[in-house]
Amino acid sequence: MHDPNHDHDHDHADADAHKEIVATERPGYFDILETALEEMLIERKILQPGEIDRQIDVLDSRTPALGAKVVARAWTDPEFRARLLADGRGTCEELGVTFYDDTGLIVLENTDKIHNLVVCTLCSCYPRPLLGLPPEWYKLKPYRARAVVEPRALLAEFGTIIPEEVEVRVADSTSALRFLVLPMRPAGTEGYTEEQLAALVTRDAMIGVVPVQVDARRIA
Amino acid sequence: MIGLEDFMHRLPNDVGGQPSPAFARVEHPLAPWEKRCHALADVLDYHKLISTEEKRRGVEGLGAEVIGRLGYYERWAVAFAVLLFQKGVLTPTGLAEKMKEIEARGSAERTPADVAGA
Repeated sequence: MHDPNHDHDHDHADADAHKEIVATERPGYFDILETALEEMLIERKILQPGEIDRQIDVLDSRTPALGAKVVARAWTDPEFRARLLADGRGTCEELGVTFYDDTGLIVLENTDKIHNLVVCTLCSCYPRPLLGLPPEWYKLKPYRARAVVEPRALLAEFGTIIPEEVEVRVADSTSALRFLVLPMRPAGTEGYTEEQLAALVTRDAMIGVVPVQVDARRIA
Repeated sequence: MIGLEDFMHRLPNDVGGQPSPAFARVEHPLAPWEKRCHALADVLDYHKLISTEEKRRGVEGLGAEVIGRLGYYERWAVAFAVLLFQKGVLTPTGLAEKMKEIEARGSAERTPADVAGA
């Protein structure tokens, strides 16, 4: 495994992970490339002027608050929860969350017996209509490489310790199918309104890397 | 012994279970051009010109070395260019000329006039 001939690969992997973090600080050439592609596609009437700007507005309109609203409704309305687990996309749309792409959605319910974790090993597929764009760590190699082979150790790095008797299930996303975790409703929230519940639900809880906690400060 | 056969087993994006650097809970907001690049990807998908899976395969087609040296959205931009060449929508010469023109304008920022007048 530590064959010297293979060191290149390890160096490469390290450079890869680091690069993804720092690369955005030198946008010059690629900024120009992106602009050129955009302008040429508009000149060829393949894209309409303003289409990119409108899509930026769509991207900016998607935040984890949408996913949190879905989760809070599922916690307070058992019929909604059942529909959500049976038909993720259709049930989110029922709540007014539009899907701006052709992706399907499966909602995975955490229980006291099963803990779900979402990853995209091949790239960075993510339930963007509900959560917005993924965090950087979700797109980087360490998370993608480790989630599928040592999810408990990875979760522990988020401070999440899953008891041995709880099964950990890892869902690997694709370009056509995305996953959202329905976290467990925390104890002590019996008197909470739907809005108060939604305020507890973080992005990371819906990826499955942390539980929802009553005293959680919204960090994501 | 890990040798050439390793390259036959996995394409560059297939990192599940691979040795990896230490995990860090990294967050960073997108630069304006990165967000535009993301929006461009979505719009290309709507127009059935480049699907999400084609984009992913396009990135993979750049090869491990290029993938390793480019940032996340840099890969996307390069993959779009290559795919649009392959589909006969753009030509390398045309793109090079357009990039030169944008560089000469002194800024990659588009103005409404640029877009409207295009």
